[in-house]
Amino acid sequence: MSRTARGSKNGSPKKSLAEQADRHVLYERAVQDPKNDARTLNKLYRRYRKQDALVLREDFCGTATLATHWSKSKPNRLAVGVDLDRDTLAWGQEYNVKAAGPDVASRVTLVEADVLEGGGPISDIICALNFSYCCLKERRTLLEYFKVVRAGLQQDGVFIADVLGGPDAMRASEDSHDHGDFVYRWEQAFFDPLTHEMECHIHFDFPDGSSLSPAFSYEWRLWTMPELTDLLLEAGFSAVHRLWEKTTEDGEGTGVFSEPKRVENWDQWWTFIVAER
Amino acid sequence: MAMAKSSSKTKKSATSKKRSTAKRRPPQAEQADRYRLYQSSVQTPSADVAFFDRVFRKLRGRAPRSLREDFCGTGYLSATWAASHRERTALGIDIDPEPLAWGKAHNLTTISPKAAQRVQLVQADVLDGVGDRTEVACAMNFSYGVFKERELLRRYFQVVHDRLEDDGVFFTEIYGGTEAIVELEEERDCEGFTYVWQQERYNPIDHHTRCHIHFRFPDKSKIERAFTYDWRLWSIPELRELLVEAGFQRPAVYWETTDEDGDGTGEFEVTEEQENQESWLVYIVAAK
Repeated sequence: MSRTARGSKNGSPKKSLAEQADRHVLYERAVQDPKNDARTLNKLYRRYRKQDALVLREDFCGTATLATHWSKSKPNRLAVGVDLDRDTLAWGQEYNVKAAGPDVASRVTLVEADVLEGGGPISDIICALNFSYCCLKERRTLLEYFKVVRAGLQQDGVFIADVLGGPDAMRASEDSHDHGDFVYRWEQAFFDPLTHEMECHIHFDFPDGSSLSPAFSYEWRLWTMPELTDLLLEAGFSAVHRLWEKTTEDGEGTGVFSEPKRVENWDQWWTFIVAER
Repeated sequence: MAMAKSSSKTKKSATSKKRSTAKRRPPQAEQADRYRLYQSSVQTPSADVAFFDRVFRKLRGRAPRSLREDFCGTGYLSATWAASHRERTALGIDIDPEPLAWGKAHNLTTISPKAAQRVQLVQADVLDGVGDRTEVACAMNFSYGVFKERELLRRYFQVVHDRLEDDGVFFTEIYGGTEAIVELEEERDCEGFTYVWQQERYNPIDHHTRCHIHFRFPDKSKIERAFTYDWRLWSIPELRELLVEAGFQRPAVYWETTDEDGDGTGEFEVTEEQENQESWLVYIVAAK
């Protein structure tokens, strides 16, 4: 991560907006919608289990804002967040878990570990969101991960991941979104059709001309829906559901998902894949 | 596969009756032979033969002699292979008797009788692995896309591996790019007709795709859906993983080189890293 500070012309000690910014705060504002995600996870669970889920494991949890919101959403809910990055977890413990108050905090456990190690209580839902499982680039590693996930689920537990696709996901491109006090920029720097490896960055640009660029970088293999389906079945899951969001006439998502056998390929899409243990 | 039909035929005859008493010339689509059109618009077997020869020599230090062409259709490549050297033999396998019969009548009669004797065109399922082992095996024109399940494609690659000589090499092709996974129709002018490639649909949920080849003629007649394909569009990483699982060494990807203007040169070189493009077509080479 490099910080470019171009805020002050006269060399005064005034810090640029980039220097004052906290990239985790910006990330949560720009990318995450944990309250809604917690609701969606439960909705997807209910779809197959006809009851509410209580225990969630959030793999690749980062700042664990989703895990925290999960425990916040019902008094009897437990959440475990697993991530490899100690600093991010520490940030999440301070600003999300602790900030949610002692009751919620007592029901959220953050674990610094490799998701391939599993651990934590047996869960109703294990989720891997924001395409983070894409950092596992080898087929056999992703298979191993799915086996670990399956072993960490209740008999009637489900695994939920999101999937990114469409031709626009498979080429170099840049997208930006203005949040008022900063601009969020998603850059796909490179996509290699030989390996489906892609390199992406998140940048934050500020009105004073300073920026966090890149604030976050990702090296992924963009896994496709049929590949994930094959791997989940190979890992022993009993059923795999490929969901697709219904849209309005303008192409806006409605939050309602169905399981069509066939759809038209959109320029870019992201959706959920759900696997029943 | 839909046979030749011309939707403009009825319209044409209705108007020509009024206009003229002269004998109506049959629409070009009716006179055309879809296999001939296919061969002239889609295939360049001499380039494939040269490529197999060059890469095999590089890998094995000798010229290859025996070829197995799976999904051979009319056996055009097999015939070209056998005709390219007096010691070369070819075994073409296809499940469809119609193109095989066409190939025997048209492709094996246009090479020398001796070369024709070195070609065997056999009706069989490629999964059965019939025939002797060969030094080179190939599956061209993406026909392995008919195997839509991972298990099935791996089984096919295992059969290929088994039917190769101990130092044999397998060649196949794959197409892709951002335009390969959308609905699309594109035309290309060929001698005396227009070749049309249509991607009728592509399903991102299972990567099944349905494509057609149409031929259109200057007199407006056409052969719609001369060929139809129901495939799974496999990706390069998927093919490489499956080939390794089937016992091959790590497969190489040969990418077409481009000139200063970015146009394809027809030459293919090994690559390890590429930026995705709208459309690409590459050779995959897997050594046993």
